[in-house]
Amino acid sequence: MVMLEQIIHVIYVLFAAIIGWFLLRNLFKRVKKPGIVYDIVYAYCVIPFLLRVLGIK
Amino acid sequence: MENEKNAKGGRAAMSGRARLWLKGGFLAAALAMAFFAGREFWELRHYKETVVSAPGLTEVKMLSDYLGSLKGTWMDTPIFVYDSGVPGGSALYMANVHPYEPATSLSAYIMMENIKVSKGKIFVIPQGNRSGSTTGMLGNAYPKFFHVKTDFGEKQYRIGDRGTNPLDQWPDPFTYVNYPSKQNLAYQDIRNMNRTYPGRKDGTLTERASFAIMELIRREKIDISIDAHEASLMYPVVSTYVAHERSFELAMMAAMTLSAETFDMKCESSPKGLRGLSHREWGDYSDTLAVLMETPEPFIDRVVGPMTEELFTEGKDEFLATAAKHGLTYHPYKIEFGSPLWYRCGRHLSGAAAAITWMGQFFPEKEIIAEWPGYKDLEAHDCGYFLHDPAKADGKLVFKI
Repeated sequence: MVMLEQIIHVIYVLFAAIIGWFLLRNLFKRVKKPGIVYDIVYAYCVIPFLLRVLGIK
Repeated sequence: MENEKNAKGGRAAMSGRARLWLKGGFLAAALAMAFFAGREFWELRHYKETVVSAPGLTEVKMLSDYLGSLKGTWMDTPIFVYDSGVPGGSALYMANVHPYEPATSLSAYIMMENIKVSKGKIFVIPQGNRSGSTTGMLGNAYPKFFHVKTDFGEKQYRIGDRGTNPLDQWPDPFTYVNYPSKQNLAYQDIRNMNRTYPGRKDGTLTERASFAIMELIRREKIDISIDAHEASLMYPVVSTYVAHERSFELAMMAAMTLSAETFDMKCESSPKGLRGLSHREWGDYSDTLAVLMETPEPFIDRVVGPMTEELFTEGKDEFLATAAKHGLTYHPYKIEFGSPLWYRCGRHLSGAAAAITWMGQFFPEKEIIAEWPGYKDLEAHDCGYFLHDPAKADGKLVFKI
């Protein structure tokens, strides 16, 4: 059970990394919604995922 | 025609490069924000509080001594033991189970720095949920630290979250089911140490910490266990002892004594249907006399203005004063006085002493004789007076938590 908890925890941290990577990819290489406002939103939304993956927040 | 096409292509290429630079600029700005925010989060996560124990310290245990799987985790926390060597009762004083109520940990530090035990044994846990003390409350714009003035300068202490840090226990479920009662509770309460008792040894990190506390109480045969908290003034159980039915009489007597001599204190019986709380499960799953104490902390009231360090240390807020004028608070509140830190620490220190004294009255074989600064001492001198300079103290008695 303790091991299972830890595995789930690690999987969620990996999810955070994957979502962060998708946000970065969509910042630079997206097809739809090319506006600057979306650039700002994608860049800003990277912050919580980055901090989670780095174990800071 | 050819030249015109080239010119258009050039403009497009320039525009694309400029756009790429712009995106890079936005990312750089976001990373800069992440850096500055992250630096603050990192500081809170890794800052350690210093305490200088009184010479009567006989042993320092760790919570992982009672459940090995906590070793190396952020929930492992020191337990300070003050044993007089004279047979008598034993008491546990536990603070900062909810680390956004840190007057409790300061009261534990004041107790530890000045305690003298001449009969029985006292266990002190100043950081009940150490993981939770390393992160702030989401969205509440809390200050990270509060400061206490002393003769040797300011001492800094963390202001944490209500539950375990999500860095250490994540994700939360949709519904938290308390073990073993199977009572459904709010999802975030799976990280709330005062909803996860009696805990389980193979559960989540918070459940394991709760289980280790139960093991401490059972193995050390602790006679009275006191869980220190702070409450918002609009919460009915503020300024109150909440006691298990076996400890209700002593808590009632302690409340009456305090109300007659020093400050108003109420007493409530622990509801049998409300599971996972210390005053219920400690009493049900061990022989200890379980008591929880609450002090008035305006800082966690929902109606207050800016949540500043001054609000935390002084407790003065005009919105709360207006609410009090309309009879919406459960503790008499005047903005001229507020609810200062010394008042809240003093209440806890005298509240713990009164409960322990009354245990000795009801059960003479469990008598404990111990002293530490109380409400009137803190009223006269404030908190910092009772803290000692780590630089001048015996290194063996200085601890970083």
